[in-house]
Amino acid sequence: MGMVLNIQRFSTEDGPGIRTTVFLKGCALRCKWCQNPESWTMTPQVVWYQNRCIGARHCLSACPEEALALTPKGMTIDRRRCSGCGDCAPVCPAKAIEVLGTRRSIDDVSAEVLRDRPFYEESRGGVTLSGGDPLFQFSFALALLTRFKAEGLHTALDTAGYGTLSRFRALVGQSDLVLYDLKIVEPEKHQRFTGVPVEPVLRNARWLGAQPNSVWIRTPIIPGFTDSPENIEAIAAFIRESIPTAERWDLLGFNRLCLPKWQRLDTPFECTETSLVSEQQMTQLVEIANESQVPKITWSGVTREAAAPDPIEHPYVGCDRR
Amino acid sequence: MATPHARSSAAIEREPCHADFLQSTRLLFPAHSNEEAIRPWTVTTLAQTYAPPSAVWQPSKQLSPRIKRLRDEYFAFDQRSRYFTNEVRGYTTGTPWDQLYSFNEWGVTPEAVPFMRGFRDSLRALAETVEFGDELFKLSIAERRAHFFNTVLTKHLPVAILEGELVVGSYFNTALSKVLTKGEQKEWDKGQARFYEELKHRCETGEFNYGAIPGHLVPNYPKILQKGFRGVQEDLKALSAKITDPKHQAWLRALILSCEAPRILSERYAAEAEHLAKKENNSERRHELEMIVRICRKVPWEPAETFWEAVQSVWMSHMLVMAAESYPGPGTSPGRIDQYLLPYYEHDLENHTITREFAKELLECYWIKHNYAYDFQARVGNSQGINSSFGQLITIGGIDRNGEDSSNDLTWLILEVIEEMNLLEPKPNIRLHAKTPEPLVRRVAQMVARSQGSPFLVNFDETSMKGLVWQGVPSDEVWDYAPVGCLENTMIGNDVSGTVDVNPNLAKAVELALSDGRDIRLGLQLGPKTGDPLSFKTFSQFDEAFKEQTRALLDRAIKANNFADALRVNFEPVPYLSLLVDNCAESGKDCRAGGARYNFITVEAMGLSTAADSLAAVKKLVYDEGRVPMEKLLHAIRTNFEDDEELRQLLLHHGPKFGNDDADADQIAREISRLWGEYVFKQVAPASGRRYRGGYLSWNYFISFAPKTAATPDGRRRGEYLSNGVCPAQGRDIQGPTAAAISVGKLGLEAQPNGSSHTITFSPSSLRDEEHLNKLVAFLRTYGKVGGTAIQTNVVSAGTLRAAQERPEEYRNLLVRVTGYNAYFTTLGKEQQDEIINRVSHQL
Repeated sequence: MGMVLNIQRFSTEDGPGIRTTVFLKGCALRCKWCQNPESWTMTPQVVWYQNRCIGARHCLSACPEEALALTPKGMTIDRRRCSGCGDCAPVCPAKAIEVLGTRRSIDDVSAEVLRDRPFYEESRGGVTLSGGDPLFQFSFALALLTRFKAEGLHTALDTAGYGTLSRFRALVGQSDLVLYDLKIVEPEKHQRFTGVPVEPVLRNARWLGAQPNSVWIRTPIIPGFTDSPENIEAIAAFIRESIPTAERWDLLGFNRLCLPKWQRLDTPFECTETSLVSEQQMTQLVEIANESQVPKITWSGVTREAAAPDPIEHPYVGCDRR
Repeated sequence: MATPHARSSAAIEREPCHADFLQSTRLLFPAHSNEEAIRPWTVTTLAQTYAPPSAVWQPSKQLSPRIKRLRDEYFAFDQRSRYFTNEVRGYTTGTPWDQLYSFNEWGVTPEAVPFMRGFRDSLRALAETVEFGDELFKLSIAERRAHFFNTVLTKHLPVAILEGELVVGSYFNTALSKVLTKGEQKEWDKGQARFYEELKHRCETGEFNYGAIPGHLVPNYPKILQKGFRGVQEDLKALSAKITDPKHQAWLRALILSCEAPRILSERYAAEAEHLAKKENNSERRHELEMIVRICRKVPWEPAETFWEAVQSVWMSHMLVMAAESYPGPGTSPGRIDQYLLPYYEHDLENHTITREFAKELLECYWIKHNYAYDFQARVGNSQGINSSFGQLITIGGIDRNGEDSSNDLTWLILEVIEEMNLLEPKPNIRLHAKTPEPLVRRVAQMVARSQGSPFLVNFDETSMKGLVWQGVPSDEVWDYAPVGCLENTMIGNDVSGTVDVNPNLAKAVELALSDGRDIRLGLQLGPKTGDPLSFKTFSQFDEAFKEQTRALLDRAIKANNFADALRVNFEPVPYLSLLVDNCAESGKDCRAGGARYNFITVEAMGLSTAADSLAAVKKLVYDEGRVPMEKLLHAIRTNFEDDEELRQLLLHHGPKFGNDDADADQIAREISRLWGEYVFKQVAPASGRRYRGGYLSWNYFISFAPKTAATPDGRRRGEYLSNGVCPAQGRDIQGPTAAAISVGKLGLEAQPNGSSHTITFSPSSLRDEEHLNKLVAFLRTYGKVGGTAIQTNVVSAGTLRAAQERPEEYRNLLVRVTGYNAYFTTLGKEQQDEIINRVSHQL
């Protein structure tokens, strides 16, 4: 059993072809710009959607911890009291209360993933294990990937790479493709902005670069955090030297669509004022990224000129996605 | 191989879109309990983007000056009304009892019901009198119709050749006399009145609409290309020599006479071209006109030999179908033109008598012609939501008789024409199958992705043919099928399957099951008394009540339609069209009277998902979980959830919903689908002997019947739209398009051999580059294996649609796919626009 955040079918942004992405809960990193703060902890979390609430109040009486209160400003959730038991969610007629995170078995997850097999076969797609970071629920992640491989699916591991080498090796061993996040190379900044040291990330990346697996690098472009030419240059240099197997590098422009998620978790978001990236800047960064010698470099996201395509309104996106 | 057009090769460029942060206020429902009122807390900001008008599919800048002029001329109705419009021309015998308008032919446009009498009277008042001798009234009705039609073509229907056009034949919208005797007319009038009253009643109750609808077939144009009407006439004469039955003899005389119709009109076009050629100073145009003279004196009377002749022959034959039926292009579909025009195209290319460019220009001239059907309603407004109803569907691609791919250079040329013209008609359909070459699927996907609307119906051979075989088409013939109208699968040249004839509302059966057969709004007992739901102890009792109501509703619809069918069989033959339908001569019967080789009447149910979701909610929440007492549900349904928003939310969010690959909801949907599909297939219309068969094309009835259908246990309020085709109810499919496709595939759709309408909308950004285009290609291919019979993809954002709604003048080119046909978005009624926006807002 493991803690699953969401399973998203027809996932088109997490690897080749048509895929299903399994988002696991739990991550070691605490990136300031995180798009999926609900994936940080392993415990289920209660959230309240104000636009769905009709004021039926069943949740209030269902809560054994008396952690909920409906005020004129909306619902307050006492997070110290809330145990994440989830009793409040099923009684809500409007699904305005949701518990993020469900314990699910390997069989259960696998059955859902296999439903779209005909689409994977035609599109050369498959399954992507994402998070959080799958490394955080190592045993469950390994069991899932092993099962998917046994079913003959193309597997992709979407990871920030922070974990022990032995665990990382085990997951990579069951993955055809690794989607690897490289956010910041400079150690002090990495520590400050993501909450963890960069060394394990780079060490695992170096090891990965010597493996036969396909690798796609992903870098979130967050103004003021990761968007400096120096940072991209450093990542490019690192990739060139250490990950010659990288087939592709995606630069993912920052957006603020995650803001309501932070609010729903009662967590202050430091990037509220962070601006969108400009198209010109993205183009410049792609230029710099070219020095990595990665064959394919792409960028995506909503830019400041607002000249980008519609944001894809998926309920969940992988870590640092978009 | 086709040279990719500049615009299409640029498909991988980024879509120029502008983000527009619209403020959208979503009002919350006021609290209804006695506790403290909770105010709406929120103003939600929705990030929306839209494509500027310049990014919307446009006609090509590279159209030749000739085609550009002709295309512009078509759209300039007001300017050209000085010299040419193809408005309806009424022709009467002048008898005081004469009528030109059949209610039963328009029964599928419920929105027209209030105006029908006006249409009837004004057509008669404006009609031109055609000399029709008393002695002719002694002939059979079919012979009279043939004589009358030929006289109209000889002396009355005007001819016009527009500047620069290469394919001629302009006036074809008619309202022809029924040519009945006083006694016949009396009987017919009585039947019409009865039909009208019943139709009006059934539209008011929202149970169904129906009518004996013209068109909706693929006439046998290939036969005309090969034999000419002369050859057809010779065959008829030979057959006539062997027939002794006087009625059959009279029928053959009508057919033989009808063979003259195209010759008569073509000669008048030849004469007109001759006249114009004499006045023409430009030698190039003079030469063209001389060619037109020669071609019109030859085809469609004689077999065609060149591509130009073939295109002219098809157009003249086709346009006369519309004139003969007095109904412009209702699913009168040319079918597989890339197959039957191919020999002529290849012949001319090999002999260097034509260039690829000129062939394209000919096709483009032909393309514009089809659109003139819409002059029919140019003055009665174009925002009734019905303006796009004339589905002259052309089909390209598909398998050949050996099961191999049949696409060819003409297929690719036609794709260029479709892309460059950006016109409503003829509506394009591509048949995909497992062996469709990759470049062709990619080309189609590219066009879909670029169009900001949808230029295509994509029909899947494997799933479509399965249904046709189920209904009895031999498996070695089924390869040569083509959809008509919107997506209705039929065979070619020998099949009259009356698609869209009967349109029952499955959601109404839910209402009746909940109210012991009474209409909740009108208080009328419509269905059988299936019992007070409070007395139902188990779900299966409720389910049985629903099934009984469904069967009874179908019985009422079929009975009503049998009457319309008989009225038409007895009084409204179309001998000219019967020439183009195999077996009518041999069987001695009109194509509307069961004379074709394949004769079906199609029942197109609507509201499948609404009904399935309703049953699934009752099963789970009332019976399995006991969470909702039946009494409470009944109260809420009767009061339209007015005092129980909480229950509505519960039903909406906790009931299983079809379209999510959910085993429970999908199983219920399948049971409903098989139940009614198999039920109607057992019925035969006595007058024509045509068997009923199922299909899913809700056209726009899911809107017009919405206010007539009470609130439903899926959480839908009265007035909210019913589900459409096999689509999941609007916004209820939250698992994405793969899950929706799989759900649809589980329905067992061979019991609906007519085919199923499934519309999926993609956001433009999900198709922004080659990589994502490949995913669409793979999606389409997989859909052909696991999904329904046809798919329509809209690639458009809600923001673009909103912009088009606000500034229609800038978005006149924006084509969207609506339940089986494409339409210019800005010409649709607001309800339908809102429905599309609503659907897109939940886009996948």
